[in-house]
Amino acid sequence: MRRKFLGVLQLMLITGLLLPGCNKWDDHNSLTDPMVGKDLFQQISENAALSKFAELLTKSGYDKVIASSKTYTVFAPTNTALSTLDPAIVNDSARLRMFVGNHIANQLYQTTTTPVRLQMLNGKYNNLQGKLLEDANITIADQYTKNGYLQVLDKMLPALPSAWEFLETSPLAPAKQKAYLLSLFRNVFNPANAVQIGINPATGLPIYQAGTDSIRTNIFWRDVHDLRNESKQYTFFMLSDAAWDSEENKYKPFFITGDADSTTRLADSAIVKDLAVEGYYPQSTLPDTLLSKFNVKVGINKSAIVQTVKVSNGIVYIMRSVDVRPKDKFQQYIIEAESYRGSSADRRGNTYFRDRFNPLTGQQFRDVLVFNHGLAMFNLNYRLTNVPALKFRAYWVALHDNINNNTATFTQKLGIGSPTSTVLPYITVAVNDYREIYIGEFSSTTYMPFLNLFLTAANTTTANTNPIVCDYIRLEPVL
Amino acid sequence: MKKLNIKKLIVATLMFAGLVSCKKQFDLKPGIDLDASQMYRNVYDANGAVIGIYGKFMALADRYVILNELRGDLLQYTQNADEYLRQVSTHSVSADNPYANPRPFYELIINCNDVLKNFNIMRQKNALNELDYNQRYSDIACLRSFLYLQLGIHYGQVPYVTDALETVTDANDISRFPRLTFDVLLDSLINFTDKIPFKEVYPPDPTTTTTSTSLNYTLDAYQTQRFFINKKVLLGDLHLWKGNYRKAATYYREVMEIATVGTQGENYYAQYKLGWSGNANLYVSYSRAGDASTLLYADGWRTMFEASDDRFSREWIWALPYDSKFSPQNPLIRLFSPIGGDYLVKPSQSILDNWNSQQQVPVAVAGGLTGIPYDARGLLSVRDIGGQKVAMKYLYNYISHATNAPVNPLAKNGKWFLFRQTHLHLRFAEAANREGFHKLTYAFLNNGVPGTFAPPPPPVTVPVTPAITDMTNWMNTLSYPAPYNFDARFGEIPRYRSDWYRHIGIRRRANVTDFVVPAGADSLIQLENGLINEGALENAFEGTRWADLLRIALRRNDPAFLADKIYDKLRKDNVGDASAVRAKLMNKENWYLPFKLQ
Repeated sequence: MRRKFLGVLQLMLITGLLLPGCNKWDDHNSLTDPMVGKDLFQQISENAALSKFAELLTKSGYDKVIASSKTYTVFAPTNTALSTLDPAIVNDSARLRMFVGNHIANQLYQTTTTPVRLQMLNGKYNNLQGKLLEDANITIADQYTKNGYLQVLDKMLPALPSAWEFLETSPLAPAKQKAYLLSLFRNVFNPANAVQIGINPATGLPIYQAGTDSIRTNIFWRDVHDLRNESKQYTFFMLSDAAWDSEENKYKPFFITGDADSTTRLADSAIVKDLAVEGYYPQSTLPDTLLSKFNVKVGINKSAIVQTVKVSNGIVYIMRSVDVRPKDKFQQYIIEAESYRGSSADRRGNTYFRDRFNPLTGQQFRDVLVFNHGLAMFNLNYRLTNVPALKFRAYWVALHDNINNNTATFTQKLGIGSPTSTVLPYITVAVNDYREIYIGEFSSTTYMPFLNLFLTAANTTTANTNPIVCDYIRLEPVL
Repeated sequence: MKKLNIKKLIVATLMFAGLVSCKKQFDLKPGIDLDASQMYRNVYDANGAVIGIYGKFMALADRYVILNELRGDLLQYTQNADEYLRQVSTHSVSADNPYANPRPFYELIINCNDVLKNFNIMRQKNALNELDYNQRYSDIACLRSFLYLQLGIHYGQVPYVTDALETVTDANDISRFPRLTFDVLLDSLINFTDKIPFKEVYPPDPTTTTTSTSLNYTLDAYQTQRFFINKKVLLGDLHLWKGNYRKAATYYREVMEIATVGTQGENYYAQYKLGWSGNANLYVSYSRAGDASTLLYADGWRTMFEASDDRFSREWIWALPYDSKFSPQNPLIRLFSPIGGDYLVKPSQSILDNWNSQQQVPVAVAGGLTGIPYDARGLLSVRDIGGQKVAMKYLYNYISHATNAPVNPLAKNGKWFLFRQTHLHLRFAEAANREGFHKLTYAFLNNGVPGTFAPPPPPVTVPVTPAITDMTNWMNTLSYPAPYNFDARFGEIPRYRSDWYRHIGIRRRANVTDFVVPAGADSLIQLENGLINEGALENAFEGTRWADLLRIALRRNDPAFLADKIYDKLRKDNVGDASAVRAKLMNKENWYLPFKLQ
């Protein structure tokens, strides 16, 4: 009885509360901005200034995409901006999708002062910073819609080719550099898509069906920069044919081989490796010297720029000349002596990797000492690769700090090509000398794919006179 | 109307309950906890109380390390650390800083007081025989004194409470418990602790049965002997703080001689005597001397922090284990480890530089003039994990030295390292040095008594002068008064080996060159500086640094001794305003944390 009464009372109270509030509650929840109820495509099609873009959306099929429940940011160029659009693009459905897709990004992006590199639906990237998308101004910014932001542009953004696409397809690309780069396609082993047809009984390794175990790729992409990569930006220099020839002639003498074609290829390879630099340097911010991936200074003379081409992932300069000095291109070799490739006999038991302090540099260093190895001309082997035809000056740091409490000196030498080579003489290792010591110079008259160096002990078996000790060897090119 | 009804209902229920209830129904014993009537009945209950106190003590490990190391110059906070840890490192602790709250210390002290009171009652009721009572009472009494010594070190002026209080906040009552200055506190502690009836370690029970009453046994695969505070070490410490050097040294010496009983084997010569050992070496060594790439990680000095065999038991005097099999959890992994922990603290640049400025003993074949230009204890104490410097000592049971990865990520095992023989030897040497026995101090710091007191090599003459063979007056300090009289003599014909013949000294064990007092300098001050610096190199992160700095600064009345070291740490780590902190620490008042029971 009492419960029932309480229940009724409660019900009355609640209804009483709700009755007068009904309308207000609705007001509170209702949408005040009618635009928010409309999706991107509705808003674009209702905007008269964007009617052309709406047409293109419908034609390309992107209208369905931006009317969906996912969120997008659409950068819509006005009709005025689209007036210069090439009808050829409109009539080619693939190119049209590419073009329209270059104006739509997944997710929500507001205009912001921090630069963002946006991936668009066509796979290309555009840079957004402030009220600028690439070089187009955002005239109406950050407009809400049901499924994203609408930004209105005063310029269209054509889908540009990437730097590599430019090289492959554009008639502007100079022929000789293009021909060389296109000659670098190789089949490179890659088991990702390989079909395995058996197992080698001798080695236990898989056997793949011929033709499936490799992919065709360009070794420039692998060794220097992959200029197809849309997510990064590059500055790529292309030499006009005349400039290419003159650079080629400049570098051929350093790559003398028995075969003229090989020499040319090696010279070309040396030229081209410093011509692509990561980063976007438009002419306004282009410095007079850039540092390549290989730490080579690339001198840029702005007056030598023949043409500037903006590409989707950076910028391409076609140049009358690019000045890279051999002095910068060929850098010194520093060989850490403790990282040797092999020794003439196994003497690990007599080998000491020593940590020492160099009072001249104020740094600790690690060197190698082989003491009491008992062999005349015992040696450690080092290998350099791709050594150009050059003259080198050689130096080393060799610390003899009373090894075996012996204060008498001993000798060792650097064998060029062979342990017994007499190109460089035996050098006396003074006691407690932390300096870099000049040990002589040598020249290579031809290019060498690899060059063996040997740190060779004295020609004696006496422990105190045949140690080997070295911190590092430095070979300085003479140019 | 409703209110009235409810009232009526309550009254009715109460009346009903009053009618039918009987006393037994509500007099339930707690299910898994003991109540007071079930405690303190016999020796097993007493053992339970002791283990319980130590169990609670183990929860103080991170606080102990933070207060003693982060306030010192060897440990620095990382970017993961909160504001409170940063305050501790930069000596700008606010009163609400939880690390400065002395409550956890006092809670345990009150527990100790309660246990001591009940032990007394048990003794009166003869529930505990005299020997059992003496051992357990002295143990808890010493632990309490240890806690008070810590409080004195960090807070300066603290209330000295020895009653079993109801609540910890009662200690805030200055009228009942006046705050004693550190010096007066030391007097009270010495007065109390010197009189404890039992000063040895718990003796092992010869019966080793399950009914054993001994506290020296194997618990969850851990030997309990090292769980408990070493009473003589504590007494030595108290006297060292007070400046009673002879008494301090005497207590320390007695600890060094713990193993000088029974058969003259490896343990006899090696345990706590810093002796070389054939089967459990703790040197810094290289598998090929002179080859820096062959530093031994799997054996030698580093393994004292990982092993549980002789390499542990000959080195450690006090260490408590954490194991995933029992509580409490290991708080030190959270503090130090970037894997499975929060990586809140890291080694300071100051200690890294200190290790790098040492020189190892040259090896003739690899260049007799210079040695390896750093102290390898640095490589063994600190590792690079994911590009971050990690203080490893507490982590070697968790993170494998070989892979830098946890052996088992969920088994956060480890030990709280409190005291080992290098602490003992350094403090003994500190006392000896203050008593004027500088050469003995040199021997303990550098290359041991046999090395320092060795006969001079024979002069090079023609004909050859024979080497000295009569060692009567060499390799010993028997002419010194006790406890500074060491016999380290040995010879072959006839063969004899005295107790200290294997003593090698702290720096020689670590393979570094001797600490040399410059000509014309004051031996006392120079050697004391050397000892304190050796404490950094050898015992970094083990929770004694701040106390060492404070003790010397107090003794010399030289605030700069302490302030300069903290200044150096902050400057090299580029943390806080180093000059301002230095200026602050030049005032002794600012050496202590604000005392506020929260």
